[in-house]
Amino acid sequence: MNVISLVGPPNAGKTTLFNYLSGQNLKTVNYPGATVEYNSAKLQKKFGIDAQLIDTPGIVSLIPASLDEVVTVQGIYNNPEYGVPELIIVTVDSSQLSRHLLLVEELLESKFRIIVALTMVDILERKGFSVDCKKLSDKLGGVPVVKVDPRSGEGVDKLLDYAKKLLSEPFDASQIVPVNEDSKHLIDLYKGIGKIEKEVILSKDKTVKPSSIQTSLHAPDELTLKIDKFLLSKGVGFLVFILIMVVMFASIFWLAAPLMNLVDQFFGLLASWTVELLGKSFITDFIADGVIAGLGAVSVFVPQIIILFLILGLLEDSGYLARGAMLIDRPLARIGLNGRSFVPLMSGFACAIPAIMSTRTIPNRRERLLTIFIIPLISCSARLPVYALLIAFLVPAGHALLSGAILAAIYISSITITIIAAGIINKVRGIIKAEDKSSFILELPTYKMPKMSVVWKNTWTSTKTYVKSAGLIILTFSIILWVLTFFPNYNPKIDTADLTPAQVEAQTQVARINGSYAAELGKIIEPAMVPLGLDWRVGVAVLTTFAAREVFVSSLALMFKITESKDDYSIQRSILKSMKNAVAEDGKPLFTTSTVIGLIIFFIIALQCISTMAISRKETGSWRIPLFQFAIYSGGAYILAVIAVNLLRAVGVS
Amino acid sequence: MRTASQLNNGETSEIVGVDLNHPSAKRLIELGFTPGQNIELIGKSIFNDPVAFSIRGTVVAVRKSEASCIKVR
Repeated sequence: MNVISLVGPPNAGKTTLFNYLSGQNLKTVNYPGATVEYNSAKLQKKFGIDAQLIDTPGIVSLIPASLDEVVTVQGIYNNPEYGVPELIIVTVDSSQLSRHLLLVEELLESKFRIIVALTMVDILERKGFSVDCKKLSDKLGGVPVVKVDPRSGEGVDKLLDYAKKLLSEPFDASQIVPVNEDSKHLIDLYKGIGKIEKEVILSKDKTVKPSSIQTSLHAPDELTLKIDKFLLSKGVGFLVFILIMVVMFASIFWLAAPLMNLVDQFFGLLASWTVELLGKSFITDFIADGVIAGLGAVSVFVPQIIILFLILGLLEDSGYLARGAMLIDRPLARIGLNGRSFVPLMSGFACAIPAIMSTRTIPNRRERLLTIFIIPLISCSARLPVYALLIAFLVPAGHALLSGAILAAIYISSITITIIAAGIINKVRGIIKAEDKSSFILELPTYKMPKMSVVWKNTWTSTKTYVKSAGLIILTFSIILWVLTFFPNYNPKIDTADLTPAQVEAQTQVARINGSYAAELGKIIEPAMVPLGLDWRVGVAVLTTFAAREVFVSSLALMFKITESKDDYSIQRSILKSMKNAVAEDGKPLFTTSTVIGLIIFFIIALQCISTMAISRKETGSWRIPLFQFAIYSGGAYILAVIAVNLLRAVGVS
Repeated sequence: MRTASQLNNGETSEIVGVDLNHPSAKRLIELGFTPGQNIELIGKSIFNDPVAFSIRGTVVAVRKSEASCIKVR
């Protein structure tokens, strides 16, 4: 079977063409050993060519500057899965000919077999120009050049006729040579491209002088310039930036909250239905408290992740995200980061795992490592259910404004801590072992209305990946935890005299947990929990957060499940009730204002996510950085929490 | 000799050379900053850095320290 690669600069219609040719039978795969995603699919049968089509991320040149470009370029020269492509289709925006031909020239010099697909011809014609395909083909040494509109499919038949013809001829992959990286050579290539552009782009208006054609061709998008006058200005631009950030966070919390409640209640209902349907038994308990509670823990923050990815997608597709990176570059550079750290840091508010992966776009190794280092400090969405529960404990019901203010304070302190930590870690020698010349060069795309279909599809893929990878871990740990809390003393003997059936049930559960494996484990770490004013049960719950932080909520539910009221289906409300009733061995309440604040502080700072450490090790190449992260963040979190709890108690807060 | 980092907001000038010893020179050339091209400084970020240039029909944001390797008329 033949392999056809699609290569092109960003925004040249490459992915649209890929979707047209493949009939959107997208298959998302990873490069082995790397995580940059590319799409691969069979060419649709109706086109009559048996070939595997590979989409590659957009690049401007075959000389890679960042890690993701290294992977992309390697994938073009020698795809780890499919080898050297027999044919490369290069998409070239005909209105950007003078820049986009560079990649074509480099591919030709490397002796690839290529076809040039000229896109956006309609945009060029609207500007009053046309392009001479035949002449362009001659200037490129006879390479086929076809005008293609990937949205309507116009010109695709002709493109594939060429492809069929070329693929029928033998191709010697051993002739491929590396690209010439000399800067002077690049300037020469551009000189040649300038001459080609002069000859192949013609003005429809014959009175226009050939010399002025290039001037008007190279004029940037008028609307984009007008918008940038405001959005890149010091006053308005800064205000809009702050406003967008505020709106983003506001929607993550206030738009997501009702949806999260719905999901929470749904799984609460599901659990109680299961109990009603199957009756009290060993299996019921497993399904309701092990499986359903675990699934609930995974699902409850899906609304938040969807909203965050949706907003990031809209900002990216509209063209603003690159401006955001530019505006924030200087402040970030002061703490050793880069404007390009902006998007990974933003993604960190959803989940550290995709955020750490996206640091590959940072060309400078030191800045990339530092970005990876501080991403776990950003309050990811997994912490939100924990904050929500702990805030609900602190604030009486009905004070939504106060809860919102506390949540905002938590996020502001989290961001402040992140900034301070970056500054310190950047200064302390030996933590980040890399020195590199810092650089920020970023193309700012033309503003356009975001395409909802594209944004939605990307959001959906990201969310799905997240649920799949995190979901399995969370579910597994929920089940393990259930086993640990249920065995070996699953049928404890208690004195049932003078007790109602409900009381018997409650006492059975208390006895079961107290004699469980979890209790034994918890007793080992209890000494560490005492300075925090907490006991082994919370200790076990904290241990389980290493699977995923949000598991804390379902763990608390399991550890403190003493009463279950029949008319209240919200998991959160029943946990709160149990928390308020929970007492330490000395009979004093376990959860108080001071201990809960201590827990919040611990959760803001601590690194307690095995998946994050695994991805950090993979992306940094050794265990050095993840172990440093764990020691600094979790150690610091514990010390600060102990100090806070004892300070609060010293000033009389219970 | 002026460099691109010294252009004023809205000012257009022609590139006369690129300092090839600068580590960022290659990427800037790849993006189309080549001798003979006209560039316009179309915007500055908060704190005046980075700056955005219009080049060959697109807009590229560049730190001032890097734009200083582009010599303009």
